[in-house]
Amino acid sequence: MLEELKNTAKNAVGVLMNKGADKASVSVSETVTHEFNVDGGEFSLFRTLFDKKLVMECIKDSRKGTVSQNSFDDETVASAADSCIESAASSMPDESWDFAPLGENEDFVLGEVKPDTEKLFSRCRELMDDVKIRFPRIMMEQMIVSHKEITSARANSNGVLFSTHKGSYEVMLMFSGHDGDKASSFFVSAVTCANLDTPFIELGSLAKDLANVEKQIETVSVEGKFEGTMVLMPSCTGELIGGLIMSFASDQGLLAGTSPWKDSLGETVADERVTISLAPLDDRIVCGERITGEDFRAENFDIIKDGRLNAFAVSLYSANKLGLKRGLNDSQNMIIASGDRSIDEIVASIDRGIIVGRFSGGQPSSNGDFSGVAKNSFIIENGKIGPALSETMISGNMAAMLKNLRAISKEQVADGSTVLPYMAFDGITISGK
Amino acid sequence: MINDLVTDKKHLFASGANTELRAQLNRSRQVALVNGDLVNNVRTENMGVSARVYENGVYGFSSTAEYTDDSVREVLKAASENAAFLAKHAGRGKGPNKPMPNTARFTAREINDLEQRAYIEFAKAVDAYIAGKYPDLMSRTVVAMADSSEKLIAVSNGADVHWLQPRSFMYIILTAAAPDGQPVELYDVIGGYGAFDANFTDPSSAYERIDRLYDKLRQKANGVYPEAGVKTVILGGELAGMLAHEAVGHTVEADLVIGGSVAGPNLNKRVGSELVNLVDFAHTAFGKPVPLPVYADDEGTEATDAVLIKDGILVGYMNSRETAERFGMTPTGNARAYLFSDEPLIRMRNTAVLPGSSKLEDMIASVEDGYYLIDTNNGQADTTGEFMYGVTFGYEIKNGKLGRALLDTTISGVAFEMLKTVDMISDSMTWVSSGMCGKKQPMTVSMGGPEIKCKVNIGGR
Repeated sequence: MLEELKNTAKNAVGVLMNKGADKASVSVSETVTHEFNVDGGEFSLFRTLFDKKLVMECIKDSRKGTVSQNSFDDETVASAADSCIESAASSMPDESWDFAPLGENEDFVLGEVKPDTEKLFSRCRELMDDVKIRFPRIMMEQMIVSHKEITSARANSNGVLFSTHKGSYEVMLMFSGHDGDKASSFFVSAVTCANLDTPFIELGSLAKDLANVEKQIETVSVEGKFEGTMVLMPSCTGELIGGLIMSFASDQGLLAGTSPWKDSLGETVADERVTISLAPLDDRIVCGERITGEDFRAENFDIIKDGRLNAFAVSLYSANKLGLKRGLNDSQNMIIASGDRSIDEIVASIDRGIIVGRFSGGQPSSNGDFSGVAKNSFIIENGKIGPALSETMISGNMAAMLKNLRAISKEQVADGSTVLPYMAFDGITISGK
Repeated sequence: MINDLVTDKKHLFASGANTELRAQLNRSRQVALVNGDLVNNVRTENMGVSARVYENGVYGFSSTAEYTDDSVREVLKAASENAAFLAKHAGRGKGPNKPMPNTARFTAREINDLEQRAYIEFAKAVDAYIAGKYPDLMSRTVVAMADSSEKLIAVSNGADVHWLQPRSFMYIILTAAAPDGQPVELYDVIGGYGAFDANFTDPSSAYERIDRLYDKLRQKANGVYPEAGVKTVILGGELAGMLAHEAVGHTVEADLVIGGSVAGPNLNKRVGSELVNLVDFAHTAFGKPVPLPVYADDEGTEATDAVLIKDGILVGYMNSRETAERFGMTPTGNARAYLFSDEPLIRMRNTAVLPGSSKLEDMIASVEDGYYLIDTNNGQADTTGEFMYGVTFGYEIKNGKLGRALLDTTISGVAFEMLKTVDMISDSMTWVSSGMCGKKQPMTVSMGGPEIKCKVNIGGR
């Protein structure tokens, strides 16, 4: 099938070029999904999905068009090519559009490409039993466990021709703690794994997250407002720092010219202990990206290295437009380097603060200001973790926060998509009722 | 329009089970200009067929991007096999859902699928107006987009459906520098139900909204942060709609009730002041079509309004056919799927707080020290009803009068506590239909409400 898909991609590039494109790029993929759903603690659904995707892009007279369809028979390719050419012709010329040059082509095979459906079902049932026995006050609102087999090929008019055949398992658990009519906030914990060798409960931070939520049924409110230390649990680190990268170091803020970091390449933007990478090739990442959406071979790169802004996570278009170096991959496989203190030591050093499991808030403002509700969180007082919190808001500024780092934990959580530590920041405004 | 390959396959449906067979086409057209550069120019089509079979209390589902007679038969077979697999290992000993009337609704009509040039030219004209009139902006983004969903559904018992829902919008995002040089952003969305050429006939029709947006942005650039704490506020219609959808709506989706939401123990109890009424409308409200009408859902249930809160009492949930039987309620047509490859989930449609009898000016005059919160860019809520909304524009209220504009802030509260503090509701109504609700799958929804006076926790700095 791989050869067939590669031929389809190459032929579709040829169709675009024959219709007048100056440059063309095509990706085709087939995805087969097997998925079990649990709702309200009971199995509810078994799905098998067979999908296709065709993305045709062309540049004509420096004008770019893109068309996406979920079929790639000859008739669809021909009509999508017409639509793509029309779309480009209607566009405005911009010399910044381009596709990857020819490098070394390669075929990649990653993970367990075919699912073991019976074993997947057994692992699901085992997880449900583990939760019932070990965490009796947890109610499983929803569990989605799936295997995805993706076969894909990319070709462009510069001679690039890649293929990937990969398969991985994903587990998503949404749950809350209950005691009579009292309930905790919900929490979502997810992991990606390459095989079914390990019971799901032992993966990522599933067990830790379940234990934390059981402790969040009874809550207290923070009285008034104070400035303190915010410790982010690993999943929350990904959420907040991911939002920061999106706002400050990606196409969006840089093209608009609103990113506070737009002129800071090479400068210190964070405490020197902070190193943030996008690393799909890291061993701890499951089936990470091998080919970018712009036909480049994916490479790991550091956005912040030892506190200095090392690179932007920008597309080839934005790089050409702004005179920058493009981001070497477009994954979200964020890895934050670990620190030298345990999370227990970090908590013990904090007089007053909060440890946050989930942040309920929107994207930070253009200037980095953020505010939102601290969910699945606990108060920290006199070096100890206290009761769980409700109706507690946190606010600060992302750019300032990275410079006000107190500590990064030795411990990291690898969930198959990211590798993240606990991070503690001083100077955060914490307010209750 | 979708060629009908599903209706004649009903003879293949298994007896003793509920079966739904759905062919679906989703289209999206989008262009985006950032500071005059076309950074996004994309046309997307997603077409296929799916089948879902309900047997012994569990569902089997299968979908394929192929749409032929053979592929329709194959998904039916695969869905039956999946249902049988799960029924064997985890069946619940239940029979098929209760029969529903087959009212055979065919409501789809063709819409004009414009070439990409139309979107680009319109966006360019709007962008040129902004660039010419407001050269002091730090940045401007103009997005022109349209999406549509066409469904052809055959069910073993219930309403067979053929419907098409088109939407089209212009997003205008402006950024200005505050006096200290920091960027301040504000956006507006124009459009709603209908194809792009039906909603946008002339770029100049957007100019008044752009001028108003710029004026608000300038006020905001000189704005202040609110004082943190529990405050008396007037929520604008957009925020009231967000409250209806996020903070209340999700908790009364029956699947989340089963999952342990706060609505479970509160059915038939007081959850708001007696001024509060909340309804998920199907297709008509106040004698007019709602922003995104739904006439039947993807399980073949004819859509009717779901009354959720009446005079402050929680009186109902939104249901699928399965959960309606479980709760002894009547299904109202809330089971909807986003793509052909998605199974129907319990989703909101047009969820709104109902208007009251107060005038906005009287409401403002009644606040000694508080805020009038008008625009929002996001909202999230918990199954406990604890909610958070981003507020992107509003004003101080001091001694009954509007004061300075506000910088970005956040409000939070617990829905069933906050609704009890509502003491005035205006007689106006604002609807928003540009959003996508997220719950395993995205979904087009609208939300609405009047101005509401209440107490919430507001974040400062």
